[in-house]
Formats: sequence, C-alpha cells, structure tokens
Amino acid sequence: MSVVATLLSGQLLFAALVTGAIYALVALGLNLVYGTLRMLNVAHGDVVMLGAYAAYWTFSGLGVSPLVAAPAIAMLGALAGWLLYRGVIRRLLGSGATASTRLEGNSLLLFFGLSIIVQNAVALAFTPNNRGYSHLDQVHQLAGVAMTGNRIAALAIAGATCVGAALFLSRSLAGLSMRAVIERREAAYIVGIDVDRVQAASFAIGFASAALAGVLLSMLEQFSPFSGFPYTIAAFIVIILGGLGNVAAGLGAALLLGVLETYGVALTSANLRSVLLYGVFVGALLLFPRGLFARRAVRA
Amino acid sequence: MSRLWAAALAALALALGVLPFAANDYLVATGLSLLMWLALTQSWCVLSKMTGYVSLGHVVFYGMGAYLVVVTWQRWPLALAVPAAGIVAALFAALVGLPVLRVRGPYFVILTFGLAELVRYALVAYEAASGTASRILFGAPDLVVIYFAMYALAVGATVLLALVARSRFGHGLRSLRENEEAAETVGVPVVGYKLAAFVLSAAIPGMVGGVMALRSTYFVVDQVFDPMISVTVIAMALLGGGDGPRGPVLGTLFLFTLSQLLWAHAPLAYMLILGTVLVVFVLVAPNGIVGLFETARERRRLGALAREPV
Amino acid sequence: MKPFAIRRALVLGALVAAAHTGVFAQADKPIRIGFSMARTGMLAVATPAQVNTYELWRDEVNAAGGLNVGGTKRKVEFVTYDDQSKPEQAVRIYEKLITDDKVDLLIAPWGTPFQIAIAPVLEKYKFPMVGNTAASVALRQVKPGYIWFPTSAIPDRIGTELTAMLKAANVKSAAIVSNVLPFSKEIKNYLEPELKKAGIAVKVSAEYPPDVKDMTATLTQVKQANVDAVLALAYPGDAVLYAKQAKELGIAAPFQFIAIGPSAAFFAKAVGPASAEGVVTIAHWSPRAEWKGSQAFHDAYVKKFGEAPDYLDSSLPWMSLEILQSAVARAGLDKEKIRDIISKETFQTINGPVRFEGVQNVITPTAFVQMQKGKLEIVWPKSIATATYAPKKGW
Repeated sequence: MSVVATLLSGQLLFAALVTGAIYALVALGLNLVYGTLRMLNVAHGDVVMLGAYAAYWTFSGLGVSPLVAAPAIAMLGALAGWLLYRGVIRRLLGSGATASTRLEGNSLLLFFGLSIIVQNAVALAFTPNNRGYSHLDQVHQLAGVAMTGNRIAALAIAGATCVGAALFLSRSLAGLSMRAVIERREAAYIVGIDVDRVQAASFAIGFASAALAGVLLSMLEQFSPFSGFPYTIAAFIVIILGGLGNVAAGLGAALLLGVLETYGVALTSANLRSVLLYGVFVGALLLFPRGLFARRAVRA
Repeated sequence: MSRLWAAALAALALALGVLPFAANDYLVATGLSLLMWLALTQSWCVLSKMTGYVSLGHVVFYGMGAYLVVVTWQRWPLALAVPAAGIVAALFAALVGLPVLRVRGPYFVILTFGLAELVRYALVAYEAASGTASRILFGAPDLVVIYFAMYALAVGATVLLALVARSRFGHGLRSLRENEEAAETVGVPVVGYKLAAFVLSAAIPGMVGGVMALRSTYFVVDQVFDPMISVTVIAMALLGGGDGPRGPVLGTLFLFTLSQLLWAHAPLAYMLILGTVLVVFVLVAPNGIVGLFETARERRRLGALAREPV
Repeated sequence: MKPFAIRRALVLGALVAAAHTGVFAQADKPIRIGFSMARTGMLAVATPAQVNTYELWRDEVNAAGGLNVGGTKRKVEFVTYDDQSKPEQAVRIYEKLITDDKVDLLIAPWGTPFQIAIAPVLEKYKFPMVGNTAASVALRQVKPGYIWFPTSAIPDRIGTELTAMLKAANVKSAAIVSNVLPFSKEIKNYLEPELKKAGIAVKVSAEYPPDVKDMTATLTQVKQANVDAVLALAYPGDAVLYAKQAKELGIAAPFQFIAIGPSAAFFAKAVGPASAEGVVTIAHWSPRAEWKGSQAFHDAYVKKFGEAPDYLDSSLPWMSLEILQSAVARAGLDKEKIRDIISKETFQTINGPVRFEGVQNVITPTAFVQMQKGKLEIVWPKSIATATYAPKKGW
C-alpha cells in the first residue's frame, strides 16, 4: 500500500482509535492514583484482568452481555479500590515511612506483593488456562471500513469514559479538587480540600476504570491470570509519555501509541512494532524528560 | 564496618565457598542462584541506592551479556566472552547514560524499563530478520565451574558496593541523592558522578548474564530480558533497606531463603504466601531489615538511657 | 503330614519369605514420579493441558490398583515443582528430583526449551525420560540415550507436508504471517523455501513480535494480496487476535491455517464456532477407531475436566506415559533396561504405533487437523485421515 493510501485508510484509523481508546482507559486510573498519591500501582493491570474474568463469568455462566454487566463490574472495582485504600494504603501512608523515597519504594513493593497475590489466587481458583468468548462479533460495514460490533462498543464506551473523566476533572467541583491535589498538594490542604477523601476517590475511580477496561478487552481477545502485566506496562508508558498526573495529556499519549501500532506498523514493518513503540517512548522521554506535555505534569 | 557484620559476611563467604565440595548438585545450584541475586542486587545498588535514581531496567545489562556469550559460543573462549559481556554492557551504559540520566524520578524508573524493552525487542527483531529461531549451547562448563565464576562476581559486586559506599565518590552520590541542585552548587561533579555510577553498575550484571546463559542449553533472546529480574532485584534491595552493602545482602538472603523454602514445600501455593509476606513486611517494616535492626538498637539505647540514674 | 497342614506350612513359609524380600512392604510403598511444570510466569497458560493429562493418568492408574512395576502394582505419587517458566529453573528442579528427592521415575516438563535444557542432566545421571511437548529441529542435536521425542510436528517436516497439502488443495498463492517466537519462526524458515520450490507464490511474508495488540496493518496487506491460502504461524496468545481481526477484515481465502491454538478447547469458545469452523492446524492425533484407547482418553478427559483435551499438548503427554508404562511393566525400575526397551521397541499408543530411532519417532507422520462441525478431524496425510479437507467458507 502506498504511503498516501495508508495515511488515508479508514480501516487503520478505526483500528488506531480502538487501540488508543483502550490504552487511554487503562491508563486513566493509573494516572489518577499516581497523581494524587505518588504511588506506582504495578498491580493495575491485574485489576483489568479481574474485570475481564468478571465479564467472562457473567457471560458464560449467566448469559448476561458484558455491556449490561459493565456498570456493575465497574462498581465492584470501585468498591475494591476504596476498600484497599481504607484498609491498606492509609496504613502505609501513616507509618513511619513518609519520607518520599521510602514511600515510593514501599508502594512499589506493596503493589507488587498484591499483584502476586491476585494473579496466583486467580490461577489457583480458575486454572491458568486461556479464556475467551465471542460476543457482538458481527461485522458492520461503514464507508468501506469493516468494524466488528464489539470493537465499536469498546471504542464508544472507552472513549466516552475518558472524555467524561477529562470533563469531570475540569468542570466538576469534585474533579477540580482532585486536580488540585494532583497539581498542588500542599495548597489543596490549605484551601480545605479533604485530601483523604480525594485519595480514596481516586483509588475508586482508578479501579473502576481498570475493571471496565477489562470488561471491554474480554470481548476482543483472550486472557489468563497472568495477562494483566502487559497492560500495566502499557499504562505506565502512556502516563509517563503524557506527563504524570495530566489525564488529558494521557489520552493524547494513548492515541499516539494507537497510531504507532497501526499506521507506524503499516508504514514500516510488522516486525518492528515493539521496537517502534519503545523507541518512540524512549526517544520522546529523552527529549522531553517530564513527558510530552510537561507544563502541567507533576514534578518528579 | 562493625566487627559482627564483618564476621557474618566472612562466614557467609566461607560457607558459600565450600558448598560445591560438601553438597549435592541441587544445593550447589541453589547456592548459584543466591550468588547470582547477590551480584545483581549489589550492582544495582551502586547506581540506584546511592543516587536515588531507581532503575527498573537492570535486566538490560544481564540480557546483553547473555546474548554476547551465546552468539560467540564456540567461536570465542569463555575466558574472553564473559569479560567482554561486562565490557559491552558498560559501554552501552556509557553511551546512553548522559541523555538517560537527565530524566528524573518516576520518569527515570519507567524510562529504564522502556530502554530494557527496546533493547530486548530490537534484538528479537534482529534475530528474526537474520533467520534465527533459537540457539543451542551444548557442552557448557560444569556446574562447579559456573558456580565459582558467579562466586567471583558476587564477591566483586559486594566489594564494589562497599568501596563506593565509603569513598568520596559515594559521598558525592549520596549528596546528589539528597538534593541534586545543591550538590552541584557546592561543586560535586553531578553529571560525571551519575554516569560513573551507571557504568559501574552495568559491568557485573553483564557478566552475570553471560555466565547464567551457560546453564540452559536452549537460548531464546526473549527470555533473558525478563522484566521480573529487574523487579526482583528492586524488591531484594528495598526489603533490605539501609544505605550500604548490608541492606542488599540481608534483603537478598531474606527474600531468597524465604522463596526457596516456600517453593520447595508448598509448590502450588508458594507464590500466594510470598505475596502476602511481602505485603505484610512492607506494612510492618517500612524501613527494611536494616531499619528493623536500627529501630531495635535505638530502643535499646533509649531504654538504657532511661534506666540511668540522674 | 496331613494335606491341610502341608498347605498351612507352605503358606506360612511363603509369608516369611515374602516378608524377608520386602514384597509386602514394597507393594505398600508408592512409586514417586517427578516433573517440573511452569505454574507461574509467561508460559503458565500453556501447561494445564499437560498437567491435566498427567493427573488423569495418575488417577486412572491408581484406580486400577497402581502402576505395574515389573510385576508389582504400586500407587503413583507425583513430586512436582514450579519452574516459573525458566529453563534454568527446570534444570535445577530435575537435579533436585534426582539427587535430593531421589524419585523413582521422571516425566517431562512442558515445552521445547525445557526438555532440551534438562537433556544434559538426564545424561549426567543416566536417568531415562520420555519427552513429549517438544518440537524443534534442534531436537535432533540432542545426544540420544536418555531422552526421546515422540512428536512428529517438527518444523522442517511441517514445511514439506504443509506444502504438499497446499498443492493437493490446488493452492497457487499464499500469505505467511508469523510470530517471531522460535516454533513459528522455525516453521516459516522451512516453509517459505518449500512453497517457492512447489511454485506457490508467497505474496506476503510478515513477522510480528509476541506482544502485538493489533494486526490491522498487516492483515490489510494480506487481504489486498487476495491469496488462496493464509498461513498464520501464530501462538495461542495471538491466534485468537488473528482470527477475530481476520474476520473483521473479511479475509476470504479458502485455506486458513493457524499453527498453534485451535487444537485447544478454548479457541472455539473464544472466536465462536462459526469462525473456528474450517481452520486447519497442527496436530497428529484425533480419536480414531484404529488407535486403541484414543476415544477412551478423549472421553475420560472430557469427563474429568469438562472440555476436550488439547489435540497436541494433551495427547503427546499421554503417549509418553503409555510408553513409560509399557517399559516399566517389564523392566521394573532398572534404568538401563528401561532405556533399552524404549530405544528399541515399537509401542502401541493412543496415537498408533511409535518407535524411536535415536531421539526421534519414526512412525507417526506429520499431520494436520481441521475443525469440522465442532470437531477436529485429521485431514492430512491420507493414511491416517478421519475426514477430507474442505475449504473454509469465510469467518
């Protein structure tokens, strides 16, 4: 395919949007948790995996469409995040290790431990086998572009959630107070924002969006107890590239990755897919050490 | 260095030194694993503990070293290939160090991860493009030979970290960890020091990777760049806590022994237990094992003070 | 002496003799069989097919009174550890099983890297073990003597046989889309030259890394090439992604091949029966009337695990166990005798006869199966086919 034809391809555009929207949704929660708490949740992808399993069981066991089950699964995710915050994270914050270097390291260890627990508990409970199901797999044609029903749904839901989150953070009072905690923590205390509640909320929203991403992904590909880690990685790449704590920039970075995965591969070679992705990531960071949209990102 | 600590370290070195003559192959292989983790964790600390630049890409040096030894297998003698592995890793660090170390904090963490993955997939693509699917290494040296090579590397890494920690160089590194701008202001050659630490931390993992590649006859590039190695190294160092060679040794011993015991006696549930122990440990001992000792010592000291007659 | 008394004396004498030789004691002692398996890490998704088969075998053998060890029946007990998807760990584990746990017999871990990695250990301790789920041309470099590989799915033979099958199906053009992981890559290395030799035009030859998330770019190329055969040399991790995206783009080639994935039960569930229908994949086993026990194995597996066995990764372990069982029944635990028997004899397994020359099985042909009406039928070669190949009618 010629370069021009590639760039104008509606099919590639659709694929880029779907991939980018999913990356964005997965990264959203991670960005909020890091932004408000400066914690790197390396178990984030495992929440995505849990959401996928939940959708799988509701579909295979109860015959309920994942789209119908999605809000409930997201709510469960929110609850889990909130409970984790209240039960464990607050304890970590309150312990003697509030010096920032220890906190970063300790949170890394903590989430790593949680990740191991979740992955292996799921493996023991459900066997490590691959799981997948087929739903909404009719292909629709629009203007010469073929689109599978479940991919359209994934794009619509992920896109709407991300846009909604961006609006929430810039228009609503609750969202603005979350942004305040992300961008100027000490000042947030001073103006009377209940930082503890904001942190709990960020965990809840973070886990909810991850679980939702898992539900959508379960329609598109197979998964196993150990398939969360690649999504954790992808989420980290996105939020670092966009600039930590900057949710809107994260959406842009996610889209960029989606574009690389589709257009980038089409213009070079499928063999170079990962080299391209990581190459652009490393290169961009070396040029922009605080992310592509550094102005509003948090200080390291 | 306290006498108790020196004695303990010497005893450990001795025990590990005579292990191959006293135990069966399984225990020797276990000792080999322990030595490997000691070498990797100590070398990681030379950069990350001392400067505060936490690297999540330590495995990149390991993988590069392994790759070099495998591609020169039966064309170069091992006595040349293994040190070359270390040199190549160090050269790579020297090459990318300057731009990479301009990035700070969590950005640096993920950057190093991305760098490791980039090298990994570049090599995977290169191998695929050159038609290679996998490589076979038959006729590798005996376990005992590999063991002592790793022993030397572990001792080297410990000595390196100890020397750096007490040197002026190490002092400079610590100062830039506390406040990089201030350190620069008082004349610490920050950029040069960071780079030196980075390069020093790369040589040993390169050789470790080269030696470990000899343990498995079937080599696939993908496997020697396993990110879990980087994560485990960080876990061992953080569990140990502290600021010199003590922490990493304690942390590595603790995590290694714990996971080996669990693995051998609870083959199905051991990971679950390990994860739980990790979580509990972080909540109960946020300053690592060294922190536990220090807290105990503080309490004893304060207790003694309280009991002194006024 | 009265006859009754003579009989009593004889029985008593026999009991005393038996007690001395420890026959009773041995009959109670279980026989310990060791192996390592990836239960965590990158490969943990692939191993259940094999572990399940091992467990099914153990349960069946024990239900029948135990494993026949040179005439005595002993209950089977497994000694197993997690190799964390690392071949070096597998090496350590087998060293442990032999020198520390001192198991009676060994069976194989999952996968080529692991079985090749432990070959030197087996040779060092002169401990025979029947391999199974290992398939690479590299296998031929393993020194024969203490390990054998029953599979026929060796990449170079896959290259020749697949080309032959394509020729028989009148294929004139093909597209190859391959994962760069070893097995897929090896197949591609041998397949492409064979296709060219046979005069089949390879219009697309693409490779992708294992962590691919979207194949639209590559598959658009494939669609535009409008070939007769699309050969997706995929691993289970990307087989489903490939199938779903091939469906989306409407790749209409009549011959659709996916290297690994469709032989496992989850594939049809993940892509839907309509999409799975007609897909050709690698497997040399299917329940066949001529192969004694094949249907029984299939049904027992379904009964215990609620889904069909993996036609590649479950049948091979069972075959390796049958071979071991047969050898141990005659040789007991004498390792040199076991080795002798396995190296020379022909065995009847659920996959038909198996005989080794060096490390390789020289009887079982390289074969392909096709999903037809929800069942995997052998469609090549004709000598063992259970059905005829039919072109795929879209996704």
